[in-house]
Amino acid sequence: AWSMSASAVFVLDLKGKVLICRNYKGDVDMSEIDHFFTLLVQQEEEGLLCPVMSHGNVHFLWIKHSNLYLVATTNKNSNASLVYAFLYKLVEVFTEYFKELEEESIQDNFVVVYELLDELMDFGFPQTTDSKILQEYITQQGNKLEVAKTKVPTTVTNAVSWRSEGIRYKKNEVFIDVIESINVLVNANGSVMSSDIVGSIKLKTMLSGMPELRLGLNDRMLFALTGRDKGKAVTMEDVKFHQCVRLSRFESDRTISFIPPDGESELMSYRINTHVKPLIWIESVIEKFSHSRVEIMVKAKGQFKKQSVANNVEIRVPVPSDADSPKFKTSTGHAKYVPEKNLVVWSIKSFPGGKEFLMRAHFGLPSVENHEMEGRPPITVKFEIPYFTVSGIQVRYMKIIEKSGYQALPWVRYITQSGGERRFA
Amino acid sequence: MPYLGSEEVVKELRRALSNPNVQADRLRYKNYITKVIRYMTQGLDVSALFMDMVKASATVDIVQKKLVYLYMCTYASDKPDLALLAVNTLRKDCADPNPMVRGLALRNMCNFRMPGMTEYIEQPIVAGLRDKASYVRRVAVLGCAKMHSLQPNTEIGRDINELEWCGLLVDLCDVFISCLDSHSDGTHSLQMKDLDSWAQSEVLTFLLRYRPRSDDELFDILSLLDAFLLSSHAHVAVATLRLFLHLASAHPTVQADALLRTSAPLLATCGAASRELRFAGLCHVQQVMRSQPGLFGTHYKRFFCGYSEPSYIKFRKMEILVELVNDENVALVLEELRSYCTDVSPELAQAAIAAIGRIARTYSEKCLDILTGLLGLKQDHITSAVIQTFRDLVWFCPQSTAAVCQTVGACVDSPQDSEGKQALLWLLGEHGDQISSAPYVMEGYIDGLKTELSSAVKMELLTAAVKMFLCRPAETQDMLGRLLHYCIEEESDVCVRDRALLYYRLLQRGVEETRKVVTGPKSDPSMSVLTGRQEEPISDTDVTLSSPDDAEEEISLSLGPPLSHETFEKMWLDLETLHRQTLGFPRPRAAPDTLQAALQLVKIQTLAFTPGDTVPWKAYIYTRSTETLILAELLQGDQQAPGSDESLVVSVKQQPVNQHAIRGFVSVLKSVLQTLNVDTL
Repeated sequence: AWSMSASAVFVLDLKGKVLICRNYKGDVDMSEIDHFFTLLVQQEEEGLLCPVMSHGNVHFLWIKHSNLYLVATTNKNSNASLVYAFLYKLVEVFTEYFKELEEESIQDNFVVVYELLDELMDFGFPQTTDSKILQEYITQQGNKLEVAKTKVPTTVTNAVSWRSEGIRYKKNEVFIDVIESINVLVNANGSVMSSDIVGSIKLKTMLSGMPELRLGLNDRMLFALTGRDKGKAVTMEDVKFHQCVRLSRFESDRTISFIPPDGESELMSYRINTHVKPLIWIESVIEKFSHSRVEIMVKAKGQFKKQSVANNVEIRVPVPSDADSPKFKTSTGHAKYVPEKNLVVWSIKSFPGGKEFLMRAHFGLPSVENHEMEGRPPITVKFEIPYFTVSGIQVRYMKIIEKSGYQALPWVRYITQSGGERRFA
Repeated sequence: MPYLGSEEVVKELRRALSNPNVQADRLRYKNYITKVIRYMTQGLDVSALFMDMVKASATVDIVQKKLVYLYMCTYASDKPDLALLAVNTLRKDCADPNPMVRGLALRNMCNFRMPGMTEYIEQPIVAGLRDKASYVRRVAVLGCAKMHSLQPNTEIGRDINELEWCGLLVDLCDVFISCLDSHSDGTHSLQMKDLDSWAQSEVLTFLLRYRPRSDDELFDILSLLDAFLLSSHAHVAVATLRLFLHLASAHPTVQADALLRTSAPLLATCGAASRELRFAGLCHVQQVMRSQPGLFGTHYKRFFCGYSEPSYIKFRKMEILVELVNDENVALVLEELRSYCTDVSPELAQAAIAAIGRIARTYSEKCLDILTGLLGLKQDHITSAVIQTFRDLVWFCPQSTAAVCQTVGACVDSPQDSEGKQALLWLLGEHGDQISSAPYVMEGYIDGLKTELSSAVKMELLTAAVKMFLCRPAETQDMLGRLLHYCIEEESDVCVRDRALLYYRLLQRGVEETRKVVTGPKSDPSMSVLTGRQEEPISDTDVTLSSPDDAEEEISLSLGPPLSHETFEKMWLDLETLHRQTLGFPRPRAAPDTLQAALQLVKIQTLAFTPGDTVPWKAYIYTRSTETLILAELLQGDQQAPGSDESLVVSVKQQPVNQHAIRGFVSVLKSVLQTLNVDTL
């Protein structure tokens, strides 16, 4: 079936919450919008983001402006070019009314937004979209946002103190490592007590001359970085840039541009305080048979996506200090008793997402009982997951320009490490 | 959406709205109305305030009216009884002296999506259609559409005559149906130009429903709209194109011409400022290329990727580049794609490598050089993608096998991911005879079996090892034994274990039996057993089902007039060998008569062959296919011909040259000889 364009139009914040919407045709259930953000996040993670997304027979055509998503839904074979043109027109009209179109201006001016949505489209047909004419109909002045123009003076000095001239490489390459280490503490009931992500982007630069680099990150991260969403989406704290990054440039158009130091350096670091579930979930049963033996069963489950693999997994299980004659059985990897640390270390070389493994340990116990004195230290888990980040940060591009015009290759690696996932038994 | 303390909020709002003191203070009252709408926007259910809100619509404040209307539309379907009470208020507003109020009231009343509404809105719509204000008439026309979608059988405005309708349609978008007038003289098209781009798109979409009464009228419409194919608004250009393709479905040349004319605006859209529009433009280009493959060949540079473009645009552009490649642009397109292979996004790099692999099916030599060069970068994801591309290339384009095998043999890095490993193993198994290092590479995989996690890799390893054993038994026997032992005794995945048992039992039946099963023909007419189809001669096989991808096989052979020995011999000596292939199986041991009859059945004529078990064994055959004569020699056991000691080698000559026909011929020949082999063994 043919149709002009949209069944309904929605304005969403960066977390996918509907700020305002208008149902024009009533042929698509308004609750379908709940699928939009899930699809968006899923596609972005897979690197397959697309301006048209479908759920069942409902299609979402969307654009992004500032910290907003503007989404049109339809279940017909609409003229996509027209829908995008209309959504951009919405942005244009709203901007003319409110000066700056962003979450705050929608919330502060919701009455005018409703009035405009009512006049701009009817029954899926775009109507009057000329803001001069509209201003005759809709007279109420929008509360224009005062955009604080924080102009940081550009560095006056031309000298690049962190890089010397005349560096030469035969093969020009730059290696970008995106490393996130996650810290999670889980209590005995299985609830997460605290969790955070500490991330860093490290460079190993092997480039000749004075190259000018520009790093592109995915939109979601950029907004988290600039804090423009005012605490709504993921918030990055303690964002630190290497002195080479032009902060003024970053503040004006969110571009990370810099002349890199030679060799290894940390371009930026950040911390994200967010609720993360442990990537390797541990459950344990410890049975003590007084004066004779203790039996330990540990179950480990990979709670990350199936395509990923955690490497060099080490699960450290504390045992009573007087335990002896260990016996182990594992469904994968191998377990080792480290008596000087009172630990069983269960190592698994590679641990795929979604898999579950078991370890059983059996120890003899002497008759003396002093275990209550030892406290109950937690089980700790260490691992590394390549090609994966918890925050979803992604390098979109790395542009390298040098006046001699050489070709240079950027390589990116993603690694998530455990900074210590701990689980109290 | 759950909301804390929502009941309290609603209660308090109701108290305020019904408070006479508040009602008396217009500003305070309006503030409360606004508050209700704010809560509604946030997802709180404030439908309980319906009656209080209806009362608030009696106001001269137009903004307050709008808010109340919005409220009513939102909750009408939840509270149909109360909504019907509100209808009276709205009907009253439809007669308001202010056209703005009339229009708003009518529009919102038509937005009440609930059953039984039509009887209340019909009269106001009809009145609206005759309103003196165009704002109201416009609302009324869309009201008809809304009413129609509410209750498809309603007939509105029976008493409105045609002339009035035309006038109304003029109101809707000032002109449109008038251009259907077959006697139009150009003034109408001028009017169409005066519309804004939205209205133009509307007209064009409405016209999709119009069926011209004659070809004359059809061409009148098309020539009136021709200029809009070049509209600077992408949505107008594509709407016009859609209309052209739809209306001219019986005139392919008109369609082709429209596609050609739209190519300029489409290209412009592909460079639009908004990335979503660019994306839509690229999707349209892809569609157009399906029917006009050559249209964008010269514009290939428009489809080079900007570094900061989002990946969905880059992916599309690469797909387009693969489609438009031709002799003139292939070098530059490949150079560009080569630079994408080292993109920071592994998905994009792999897509670029796959794209080069697709082009390699036509320009294999250049592409193989690039792909081989990429292996030198020693990046896991690149190596893996290149190996996977090689596997697909060998499958689609067997003549590249030798070059691929040489590269794979020289490549020291092995892929780390399971898809890459599977691809490498497949190549080793399938062409182990041409890769000297194959057994050593495979041994590495067998030794590392315990740490291999992917069942798919283990399955591929089993198949590859068995195939390799068949062509290089001495080097493979020991490791195959270890592999089977591990997979049967220690493997926990049942599928791998069953596969290993299957091969083990197969090998117990003897090497020849295994060879027949494992390295059997890739496509086998006897497979009709699986699909339950009657076995039939190849030449009679239905070719209508073929999609463009398997057009390769679409070939029919015919016998034609017989060729004398002398003519054959003369032609054989005059012509060059165009194709030589090792068939991979020995000559059929069937009786000469059977062989001749079988070939005849698929329209291949036998001229002569060496009798019995003479070595070397030779046969000369010929056939015809669409204007070309194909001559071929089958050879086995000749010391001078490489590969002919174990297997048949076929050499093909042809006049005039038609590679397509040769491929078809060889595939028919292979099938028939293999069928004979199966029967006699």
